[in-house]
Amino acid sequence: MLLFKGLRDQLLTPLQSVSGIVEKRHTLPILSNVLLEKDGEKLTLLATDIEIQITTTTSTSGTEKLGLTVAARKLQDILRSLPETAEISLAFEDKRLQLKAGKSRFNLQTLPADDFPRISATTGTTTQLRITQRQMRRLLAYVQYAMAQQDIRYYLNGLLLVVKGNNLIVVATDGHRLAFTSEALSETFSPIEVILPRKTIIELSRQLDDSDELLNISLTPTQASFTFGKIELISKLIDGKFPDYERVIPQNHTKSIVINRNQLLHSLQRVAILTNEKFRGVRLVLAANSLKILSTNSEQEDAQEEIEIDYSGEPLDVGFNVTYLLDVLNNVTTETVELRLADSNSSALFLLPDNASFKYVVMPMRI
Amino acid sequence: METNRRIAHLDMDAFYASVELLRYPDLRGRAVVIGGRSVHQPAVQHDGSRTYSRLKDYVGRGVTTTSTYEARALGVFSGMGVMKAAKLAPDAILLPVDFAAYRHYSRLFKAAVASIAPLIEDRGIDEIYIDLSAVPDDSLAIAQRIKQAVVEATGLTCSIGITPNKLLSKICSDLDKPNGITIMAEGDLEQRIWPLPAKKINGIGPKANEKLAALGIVTIADLAAADPTLLQENFGRSFAAWMMNAAHGIENRPIVTESEPKTISRETTFERDMHARRNKAELSEIFTELCAGLAKDLQRKAYVAYTIGIKLRFDDFRIVTRDITLDVAINDASKIRRAAGECLRRAPLDRKLRLLGVKANNLVTIETANAEPTQDQLALGW
Repeated sequence: MLLFKGLRDQLLTPLQSVSGIVEKRHTLPILSNVLLEKDGEKLTLLATDIEIQITTTTSTSGTEKLGLTVAARKLQDILRSLPETAEISLAFEDKRLQLKAGKSRFNLQTLPADDFPRISATTGTTTQLRITQRQMRRLLAYVQYAMAQQDIRYYLNGLLLVVKGNNLIVVATDGHRLAFTSEALSETFSPIEVILPRKTIIELSRQLDDSDELLNISLTPTQASFTFGKIELISKLIDGKFPDYERVIPQNHTKSIVINRNQLLHSLQRVAILTNEKFRGVRLVLAANSLKILSTNSEQEDAQEEIEIDYSGEPLDVGFNVTYLLDVLNNVTTETVELRLADSNSSALFLLPDNASFKYVVMPMRI
Repeated sequence: METNRRIAHLDMDAFYASVELLRYPDLRGRAVVIGGRSVHQPAVQHDGSRTYSRLKDYVGRGVTTTSTYEARALGVFSGMGVMKAAKLAPDAILLPVDFAAYRHYSRLFKAAVASIAPLIEDRGIDEIYIDLSAVPDDSLAIAQRIKQAVVEATGLTCSIGITPNKLLSKICSDLDKPNGITIMAEGDLEQRIWPLPAKKINGIGPKANEKLAALGIVTIADLAAADPTLLQENFGRSFAAWMMNAAHGIENRPIVTESEPKTISRETTFERDMHARRNKAELSEIFTELCAGLAKDLQRKAYVAYTIGIKLRFDDFRIVTRDITLDVAINDASKIRRAAGECLRRAPLDRKLRLLGVKANNLVTIETANAEPTQDQLALGW
């Protein structure tokens, strides 16, 4: 029975948008598969790792109605290695999926579509938001690098999304630094907070494009779904209490400097070479019209950079993990950044002159 | 062959069985098999005599750990099912395993050797390598002195092989067992080593041996004469080169006197399979106990671990492991429990469990951990 007939990319492109979440090794073998479901001229592709599920569709021909699952990676590798102009046909014969393209033939094992686990959409109170893909992409880019990874505090291994009034707020933190930004929405909502898993955020950032096309976000107390273009991504939420981010954003830091972002970034990158490999500490030494950046490593090697700044406040000597500083400078796009400091035991606050909503807080290191 | 290195391999003779014979000298000269449970403990009669369990009375799934040379003569070797051994030697004496005693004698014999030659690589409870390169005197005299010291300290005999490297010494200590000394002389490689089966080389296991046999390579001489290209095609470049060198008696691994443990772990196989949700309370208690046990092991050995992992074996024997690496090395029970709990969250728990284990790796000594220069990252204060 014919499942699909068409050009290579008509199948490969939608397959690539769902296959990113397929785990290479999973205890449930069927989760290495992608579900292909044909209903007349519509072919639906679906992949899941039980936490996240991505669905998309493509067009085909004929009136058949059938479904099967097949190894996502193998199918993708075969399609990718065929010429772009190849005409592909997929047929379901004797429990196997036969892929034909010109003189090439591939027979793949299948597992029944009915056995494939799916995340069912939850019912209950739903909040529906609309935002452009570009806006969401930028929100995520500004904070996602600060998410924890495999932290014991599992609720940090994700991103906090808050809807409050007409604001969409996103926050990420690993306990040492925190990134915060927000975007105005066209409507006002009753407040809701959800924690989205790290993998969901990474997958979303990978798939959203820099366009004015709309992204529909639908939030329930246990689930979030994102619909954009032909893609629907459903994600479970992380159940937990995200820390009170407002408490750690400092309000009264008096020392302030404005620096060219690239200049600071490049100085830090150079100094980072001679930091202690494990701790990655650098010292920022602030004096009249001068910011020095210093590092030493365990082999007694050292590096120093100096940047001229406009500063007349008290001197300060404070240490930071250079990675945390590089992260923010690499992920924001402004010409300059403002750095606010207090003392060597207090956090640093990064602000952007043309974006009042962005805040990045880093705790210092005792070096 | 490098001649200035002189390495001994010392292997205790039928170690567990010999330790038992120290306790039960009346069993000397008889076929004795170690591998029972505590019910097989000899019973002391009113007149002070002992009655022993016999192999033929054994019922169970245990395997033998060691047997005396008399039992070996009847075909009973270590690693054999006890029921099977009973068919070969029904009247052989069966004794329970007593690791505490074996460890005690293990420490005694190692200390005795160390008083003569201090460069010792510990290879387990009953064998060691000794670097004799810097010990004055000829090899035979040293070997005799070592054996004498071991007998005086423990009452036990051992067999020693002395050659220029660990590989050959390991083979040689086995050539004249029990209570033997084998010192490699000029021409011995060809005459004494080459006729031996290839699997006598420590590192050629059953799988490699089977593959070699399929290529018609049975003895070490066959291996030495084998076509290098053929070996390389079948075993890969580095293993082939290693085997070729080994067959020619070339090997220069140093004596590793201080081996740092790579991992420390605790695991337990349940008496019946457990369900993650239905037996949650019970499992949780076992899990906490394992973590506490692991913490105790770490503390006793003075280590802290950066990585904590878990191991699950399901009722279908599939194994799943998960681990987590922390910023700060730990060795206390509650922190280990928290880290291991986090690993467990990431593991699938849809099947019944047979086994649960907790493992610490990325170990450093507490001393090292404390001496490391610290750059102390402060945390956000919420």
